[in-house]
Amino acid sequence: MRRVTKIAAAGVATAALAFTSAACSSDDSGSSDKGVGLAFDVGGRSDASFNESAARGYDKAKKEFDIGGKELTARDGETEADREQRLTSLAEAGYNPVIGVGFAYGKSVNKVAKDFPDTTFAVIDEASQAENVAGITFAEHEGSYLAGVAAALKSKSGNVGFIGGVHNNLIKKFEAGFVQGVKDTKPDVKVDVKYLYESDLKGFQDPLRAKGIAEGMLDSGSDVIYSAAGLSGTGSIEAVAAQDGAWAIGVDSDQYRDKALADYKDSILTSVVKNVDVAVYDLIKSVQDGEPLTGDHTFTLKDDGVSLAASGGFIDDIQGDIDAAKKKISDGEITVSDTP
Amino acid sequence: MKRLDRDKLITAVGAPVLAVLAALVLTSLIILISGKDPFRAYQVMIEFGTTDRSAVYIVNKSTMFFLSALAVAIGFRMNLFNIGVDGQYRIAAFFAAAVGGALSLPGLIQIPLIILVAMGVGAIWAGIAGVLRTTRGVSEVITTIMLNSIAGAVIGYYLTAGRLGEKDGNLTHTPNIPESSHIFMFGTSVGDINGFVVFAVLAGFLYWFVLNRTRFGFDLRSVGRSETAAAASGVDVKRMIVTSMVLSGAVAGLVGMPTLLGESYNYGTDFPLGVGFTGIAIALLGRNHPVGIALGALLWAFLERTGTQLEFEGYDQKIVEVIKGIIVLCVVIAYEVVRRWALRDQQRRVGEELARAGSNDKAEVGA
Amino acid sequence: MCAITAPSSSSTAAGPPPGTAAVELHGITKRFPGVVANHDIDITVRRGTVHALVGENGAGKSTLMKILYGMQKPDEGTITLDGEPVTFHSPADAIGRGIGMVHQHFMLADNLTVLENTVLGSEKLHGIGDGARTKIMELSAAYGLGIRPDVLVEDLGVADRQRVEILKVLYRGARTLILDEPTAVLVPQEVDALFDNLRGLKAEGLTVLFISHKLGEVLAVADDITVIRRGTTVASVKPADVTSKQLAELMVGSELPTPETRESTVTDVPMLRVSGLHLSAVDADGVPREVLDRISFTIHKGEVLGIAGVEGNGQSELVEAVMGLRDPDGGSIVLDGADISHAATRTRREGGIGYIPEDRQRHGLLLEAPLWENRILGHTTERPNSRGALLDTSAARKDTRRIVEEYDVRTPGIDVTAASLSGGNQQKLIVGREMSHRPKLLIAAHPTRGVDVGAQAEIWEQIREARREGLAVLLISADLDELIGLSDTLRVMYRGRLVADADPAAITPEELGSAMTGAASGHLEDGPADGATGGATGGATGGAATDTDDGQGGGRTR
Repeated sequence: MRRVTKIAAAGVATAALAFTSAACSSDDSGSSDKGVGLAFDVGGRSDASFNESAARGYDKAKKEFDIGGKELTARDGETEADREQRLTSLAEAGYNPVIGVGFAYGKSVNKVAKDFPDTTFAVIDEASQAENVAGITFAEHEGSYLAGVAAALKSKSGNVGFIGGVHNNLIKKFEAGFVQGVKDTKPDVKVDVKYLYESDLKGFQDPLRAKGIAEGMLDSGSDVIYSAAGLSGTGSIEAVAAQDGAWAIGVDSDQYRDKALADYKDSILTSVVKNVDVAVYDLIKSVQDGEPLTGDHTFTLKDDGVSLAASGGFIDDIQGDIDAAKKKISDGEITVSDTP
Repeated sequence: MKRLDRDKLITAVGAPVLAVLAALVLTSLIILISGKDPFRAYQVMIEFGTTDRSAVYIVNKSTMFFLSALAVAIGFRMNLFNIGVDGQYRIAAFFAAAVGGALSLPGLIQIPLIILVAMGVGAIWAGIAGVLRTTRGVSEVITTIMLNSIAGAVIGYYLTAGRLGEKDGNLTHTPNIPESSHIFMFGTSVGDINGFVVFAVLAGFLYWFVLNRTRFGFDLRSVGRSETAAAASGVDVKRMIVTSMVLSGAVAGLVGMPTLLGESYNYGTDFPLGVGFTGIAIALLGRNHPVGIALGALLWAFLERTGTQLEFEGYDQKIVEVIKGIIVLCVVIAYEVVRRWALRDQQRRVGEELARAGSNDKAEVGA
Repeated sequence: MCAITAPSSSSTAAGPPPGTAAVELHGITKRFPGVVANHDIDITVRRGTVHALVGENGAGKSTLMKILYGMQKPDEGTITLDGEPVTFHSPADAIGRGIGMVHQHFMLADNLTVLENTVLGSEKLHGIGDGARTKIMELSAAYGLGIRPDVLVEDLGVADRQRVEILKVLYRGARTLILDEPTAVLVPQEVDALFDNLRGLKAEGLTVLFISHKLGEVLAVADDITVIRRGTTVASVKPADVTSKQLAELMVGSELPTPETRESTVTDVPMLRVSGLHLSAVDADGVPREVLDRISFTIHKGEVLGIAGVEGNGQSELVEAVMGLRDPDGGSIVLDGADISHAATRTRREGGIGYIPEDRQRHGLLLEAPLWENRILGHTTERPNSRGALLDTSAARKDTRRIVEEYDVRTPGIDVTAASLSGGNQQKLIVGREMSHRPKLLIAAHPTRGVDVGAQAEIWEQIREARREGLAVLLISADLDELIGLSDTLRVMYRGRLVADADPAAITPEELGSAMTGAASGHLEDGPADGATGGATGGATGGAATDTDDGQGGGRTR
């Protein structure tokens, strides 16, 4: 089989071969500790959301610990083998830790980790299934609880909406926290819960559909809408911005500061920020300190893994209620359920 | 005869070699412009692409590409542009996975059953486009594109918990097929080679044999070359359009099988997408010939494999996409150039033949 | 060769006296892939004459004319106009030097009037208004063209359109006119009118170069004749000095097979019986039209049934209905006792129908495929091409070599594509292929169109030979000589109906041409039997004629 490949390879590069002998040789020796290996999900470092947040933590750690690093990005239409290859390349080259950003890396991280027992792996938003893997998750439900508090207090109509991208376990956490936060604050406020898709992952990339659903919610009286739907959320934010007095709640990053949404920022009440950067930084730090994180690790409200953004100052008037709720959660006084 | 064989060889080999060389030159220029060293890039690609582990990856990946390109090529030979291979293989793999997950028969029965379901569903899906073309005159380009979308929607509808899917963490997929239905693997020290490669080779051989050695294949090719002449020769063109779309779809149904039977064991939201479009490029590259397609698929897999490594070495990963695009363009142009050259050359020789007779005449007249 | 004269002045009628060379081509050589190269062409055209250029199709006449008209540049040789050497880079150069070309296919805009078509592209000459109209009427009167400037071109017949083309050329100041196969589209009466026009042009001191392969016409109108064969000029003769047969032999380069005195081979065994065939179709304007209306005829074993008609009167549809390419709305088609009215084309072919299509490139060949694959086309299911479901490529290739040999297909091998062959050789391959399967019925649509005289004779001979062995032939042709010469029975088709029948032994092309325009119906029997087409066809003709069920049996021509 290898022979066949070589023939194919030769087809591409016969001409190049003649010149390459003079070129410098590769320098990856393969064992020395070279820093952090970061594998992005589709979209890459500048996706204004999840990947970008991870990159922030990575940049900070690199600077602080004066270490190297390597970033690789997923392509559209990948298979499991592609992701495995990406992680293997990083581990093989001596990067430690190796971090897969996004649950797409769930299976592959756990599989590849077995081949590199001395390397620490991490996967964001997915559970660990191997000894040297840190499964980093976030208490999105806790952040969403605070969003629920804000929504309940800000709603004039007594109706609020929740739009989920895909009806999977991750997004259900958002829903559960949000609904609980609303009900704990004002039991008579109604929450309209809608999902864009049952299982299709394009639920995170379908702003048009989100816009349509948001318009429907607005028409039926909701005046605060929380979207946990990745890129699709821009659609609902757009719809909300078109209606006076309605508020949108963003997700993942502080969407008030998102340049792509600058036109609508005055309608963005707040955002449930998932501080992936904090998690990534903490993980790198743990490896640097010689006590690598392993196993499942949830970043909660208490350790700033999730937070509610205050940009724009729209929630300044209710900050007291929010801080109170936050304290109760941190102290364990309130337990936020992670399933609806 | 010798001379004609040489011509054939030049047409068959000359064009791709020309194209790949031109693509290399252009790519080098682009890398140079971006301020990087192209030869270093090629060195990285060759070194990394020829490791044992890469070889396994390339063979596995190219199996899928090969089947996809084969499905497209069947249409091309008929002058039909089946853009819908993508939707066909996905919907085929989905229903095959659903059937496979619901049953637990002995592998010897269940594996062929899963494959047959996939081929059948793919055939039906492509057949719709064929029937619409013959009965309503709708271009298969349009219908297959739309059917891609519909396939996505149908899968989306059924792939939910409570219908045909089940939840697994953040993913949803069909129930796993039983272990007995896992395809055999050729184990190597650096990974397994998917046993489905055997079926791919078989499909490639059948494609060649049916098209070139059977009456049916001749009829199919004649429709592709001239619908009017084929009709006058007695081929039922409409039926042939439907038949070839059905065949194309059946082969498209195989595209998802290596993944389903040898890797994922279910159809989930993370099932590979877009392989059908890759197939179009590879069919063009391989000139609809199974050997050409195989080489094209290997080259494609090689590029995919080494693209990641290029990124690792600080090159933009997209450079590989640029190479692919340039290769396809160069190939299309090179084939046309070589084809025209060959035709002119033939005409010249026919002309010489006539002129020889002509000058004899002149001599006679002069006498 | 000739005395060099001063360039002619541009005033209308006063050119140099007749007898000086208007055009001289010397040593013209053109290398050109795929067709016969022109080599060592020498032609001298005297001013004020009609000069005919004759040669087989593919002999290089058209290439030569394109060189003279500036559409192609010669590799070697000189062109001299009125004693002055010239080089043309484009047709515009040629037009500027007073050369005009009337193409075989007209280049007129249907939805414009004659006047508009004439001035189109030459608006600067005489404007587009009264100046142009005056000029057009002058030209029309001077050359007897009978132009009606305000009629839409789409309302004109073929002959009138041709006159508009001639007018266009004259309007642009042409002193030398090239006419490429001008009679190909005309019926005999129209040909005579054209020749009158040409004589008028000549009388006014203009020069006409006339390309044709119809020798009778050439002898009738030309002052000088140059024969071109396989790319070179082989003779220059005066019409008074040669007979039609000698001219043909010069064109072909060998002695022609003498037209045999035919004995009838018609039997009384019916091979194809078509009755009440009916087909309607919707035309481009969405109006339903009867393309085939109650068509009935019978062809017996050993009989050639010729269908005459101006193209577009349903002949193509008739052929397609018999071949199964169109499904008739009514009527029946019976081949050798088997009803094939709605059978698939393949069934009919396997049942013994051979087919020489009208448009061989679209219907008879796979141009991009090698010759041996073209040999399989249409007979995929038959030996030697296949055994069972599998192709037998080696047998097919072997048989292709045999056909190439026996039917004199000029090719360097059987692996070249059909596209690289010349038209005549493509046709020989098709005829060879169809004949190789010993058909019961041969449908031959324009079997010798675009084929050189040599190949034409061979194809005729092959059809005659097969007819002797009992082949029935349905012959469609626009070449009336071919129809009359080859057919045992003649039928005239007009607007989807078989309107008249005739005895080929007794009819002249003129009478047939007249009937084709719809002017006659019934049995054409009172024409003078001039015996031009050879022997009698015997009683079988009459037998076939009784099949007419159009109810016009007793009709008389003129």
